[in-house]
Amino acid sequence: MTDLTTPTPGVGTRPEPVSLYVHVPFCVSKCAYCDFYSQAGGGELHAPFVDAALFEAGHWSHYDLLDDVPTLYIGGGTPTLLADGLVRLVEGLFETANVRPDAEVTIETNPETTDAALVARLIEAGVTRFSLGVQSFDDDVLKTLGRCHDAEKAREATRILRDSGAAFSIDLICGVPGQTPGSWVATLEEAVRCGARHLSVYPLSVEEGTPLAASIAGGRLPAPDPDEAADMMLAAEVALTAEGMLRYEVASYAQPGHEARHNLVYWTGGSYLGVGPHAASMLTMAQYRSVADGEGWESPPDGVPGPARVRFTREVSLTDYLRRPLQAPVPLEFLSAAEAAREDAMLGLRLASGITSSQAADAGVLEVLSELDGQGLVRVREAVDGEAIWTTTERGWLLGNRVFGAIWTAGQPSRP
Amino acid sequence: MTDPTLIRNFSIIAHIDHGKSTLADRVLQLTHTIEDRDMVEQVLDSMDIERERGITIKAQAVRVLYTADDGVEYTLNLIDTPGHVDFTYEVSRSLQACEGAVLVVDATQGVEAQTVANAIMAMNAHLEIIPLINKIDLPSADPERVRHEIEEALAIPADEAVLASGKTGEGVREALESVVRHVPHPVGDPHAPLKALIFDSYFDAYRGVVALIRVIDGHIAAGMKVQLMASGTVTDVEEVGVRRPVHVPVKQLGVGEVGYLVTGLKDTSLVKVGDTVTLAKHGATEPLPGYREVKPMVYTGLFPIDGDQYPELRDALDKLRLNDPSVIYEPESSHALGFGFRCGFLGLLHMEIVKERLEREFDLDLLATAPSVEYHVYKTNGEMLSIHSPQDMPEPGTVDRIEEPYLKVTVLVPPEFVGAIMELTELHRSTFVNMQYLSGTTVEMHYEMPLSELIMDFFDQLKSRTRGYASLDYEVTDYRPSALVKLDVLLAGKPVDALSFIVHKDKAFARGKMLTEKLRGIIPRQMFEVPIQAAIGGKIIARETVRAMRKDVIAKCYGGDISRKRKLLEKQKKGKKRMKQVGTIEVPQEAFMAILKVDD
Repeated sequence: MTDLTTPTPGVGTRPEPVSLYVHVPFCVSKCAYCDFYSQAGGGELHAPFVDAALFEAGHWSHYDLLDDVPTLYIGGGTPTLLADGLVRLVEGLFETANVRPDAEVTIETNPETTDAALVARLIEAGVTRFSLGVQSFDDDVLKTLGRCHDAEKAREATRILRDSGAAFSIDLICGVPGQTPGSWVATLEEAVRCGARHLSVYPLSVEEGTPLAASIAGGRLPAPDPDEAADMMLAAEVALTAEGMLRYEVASYAQPGHEARHNLVYWTGGSYLGVGPHAASMLTMAQYRSVADGEGWESPPDGVPGPARVRFTREVSLTDYLRRPLQAPVPLEFLSAAEAAREDAMLGLRLASGITSSQAADAGVLEVLSELDGQGLVRVREAVDGEAIWTTTERGWLLGNRVFGAIWTAGQPSRP
Repeated sequence: MTDPTLIRNFSIIAHIDHGKSTLADRVLQLTHTIEDRDMVEQVLDSMDIERERGITIKAQAVRVLYTADDGVEYTLNLIDTPGHVDFTYEVSRSLQACEGAVLVVDATQGVEAQTVANAIMAMNAHLEIIPLINKIDLPSADPERVRHEIEEALAIPADEAVLASGKTGEGVREALESVVRHVPHPVGDPHAPLKALIFDSYFDAYRGVVALIRVIDGHIAAGMKVQLMASGTVTDVEEVGVRRPVHVPVKQLGVGEVGYLVTGLKDTSLVKVGDTVTLAKHGATEPLPGYREVKPMVYTGLFPIDGDQYPELRDALDKLRLNDPSVIYEPESSHALGFGFRCGFLGLLHMEIVKERLEREFDLDLLATAPSVEYHVYKTNGEMLSIHSPQDMPEPGTVDRIEEPYLKVTVLVPPEFVGAIMELTELHRSTFVNMQYLSGTTVEMHYEMPLSELIMDFFDQLKSRTRGYASLDYEVTDYRPSALVKLDVLLAGKPVDALSFIVHKDKAFARGKMLTEKLRGIIPRQMFEVPIQAAIGGKIIARETVRAMRKDVIAKCYGGDISRKRKLLEKQKKGKKRMKQVGTIEVPQEAFMAILKVDD
């Protein structure tokens, strides 16, 4: 088990660093399982999008939100599809925002757009890390997923990244209909050999409205078998920890020191600002107020206890975003201190480091935790400083919805 | 008081969906009873549930004034009746209040089972029947064929059948002319003691029980003291009036008139459909014929999903019964489901409607157990028990025999589906009686069948196997002995009383097996393995297993995902609330109805 020290979230009392996320809504083509907001191609919109994103980031910098950026993540979509545009975006963001010298700067990429020259230019511009969507090293599995690359292309991309010298992570998916245990083990072996110091391992989830969901509903593909997915998740744990990787989050493995810092911000209640259509932001109330006052955005609802944080997503279409990159976000979600604490507890239990008993007490979930303990889903141990630490068991991680659901809905009235 | 010779009392009768309520709407418009701007669809169906489902549940009466071609203004009382077989008795009482009936037949569907059943009822009530072929505006309308069917199937001359469209209003005036000319005016003795027929009643929160009545002899006026002959209740007449369709008080209602009577009574069960209203003193000696106590046909357990809502369910049933005294209920407790009520209904549609009204009008979440009939259990000591619930079935050793209600079932179907009906009825322990061709396009088939089989998804199967063409009518004939056994279902080794059902012993094995298979699909995987067993008298006859859930995890959880996934978790928790916790197992509601679907 990892003994990772995670940043302690402050709750809206002092100015806090804000991480920056940019959502690039373009892909070469849509994968069968994906329900993220992105569109295939759209070449004529790439340059206008980079303009809009830089304009938007520049605007927020006036509110001092980007004065001390600890992590920057450009995700999507497939940011590397922008090619030159992406270099311009990174350079522009470095001009606009005060990115810490030791910041983690990650670019999400896919094999078909991972180009050695582009990677070199991005590193030159300040990028420190890449996250490559491999998903599988098995052509049949890639076909089922509707990926637009084959295994060979994925291997080539990993070589480019390894040779570039930058840190990189790869994403893998298990529980795919037709994926055999042998195929999965082979993919895992290749993944640890390719030089990635970080791996994300997800069981496939069938999202409503995707071509994959339609194929399953139409009987052209069997539904993913949850037992097979469970076996594969266990196989991943065994194979990857044997190679010296630590499972520091339910779906994330890393060589010590190579944990994804940007993701840890999401999981520990840190502040982040999202740029682009469909990007999410979370700010402390103090940070939000300065923006809301300046922009004339919605004020938090009255009442005690006052909100501690606000999360918002814009959820506008790309064309709408290009027309008006600064429109007010809807919906806004004001989280009370109690809700924020519960959310931190829920996310904390996704991490190997777990949550402390005082964190659990603040969130009002100690009782729920003992129940989950009784079911073998969490466990408690004494840490060095005397405070007890609650962590999720392997079984609890597999049945994560039970754990996270129980934590989040604790303290909510049983009849709304 | 209106001169009886200027009164025409008539009903509109039809098979369900043949357009009865829409025609009634047109009559109200044509006679300016309701102005066009105030018109809504299905005016007389005032309950939301009636409009949504396009059905009539409660009888209604409305007085319209119609100036006929002869220049005379007639008073027409239109009595709208429920169209479903569950409400046959109510329909028969409504027909007793009339001298004529407009028999509506859909020009595209032709004569169907309840067309026949309603027409026979109208004939038995000696009503003048005016055939009307409706929906002639539809491209697939075939009025000639339908005319032919009416003559052949019902022996009603149809050469003068009115051709009409409730949608466009065409033929509606002709129908009213026909009513004025052919329906006899009411005849009664204005000097005889009051006799009025109650053909419906309902509860008004401000005025108490209001009865819809038809005066046969004498008259009724506010201030009179009257007696309801069957229930023996004596009450004051607070008000009488007519419905147009808003209540308009009148001084009195005389021979042949139809209107409402405000009793001030608080208990609807005292004011029974079919009862006779007479004077409390020197009243009539003989009630009107045809009254009977309405008996429930099907029973089900209704349980609140949230056990805390039991008192609310009791209140809701008490209130609902004010408007629908045909619902009966008594407390029932189940190990699996906690406290609830065993409720009796007139039929499956009635059951569905009541459940929906309880949930909707009283904001309850209810779970219904599989419907059952009333079994007569004769014990070896000679005692007879009426059993409404499998749970109450005595130990097999103490039982001499069990009898169950049998039906005379009539199915009307196009000839090409005769084979399909034969197959279906075979599955349902039916005995074929006979069949006859009503016309080249319609065959009438008669069967004897246990009611318990009819409520086993028979109607849905009938519809799907005949692409919706078959229609059904039935009546209870008698009780007959059957070799019945109680089948228990065990979840994780523990019997779940609410899943028990009574079944013919020859079908027990097959149904037990199918039910366990069905339940395996319905019961979600739990944190542990759940064996599902079917047993008769402690002997296991079928077993399936729901394997333990091993994986249930939300994968990605980054910025925007967090609120999205959190909402998903909340939704999941709400979904669980719709499930019933039986011991440690979460059981979805549909599990308790699964037995009805085992013949799919």
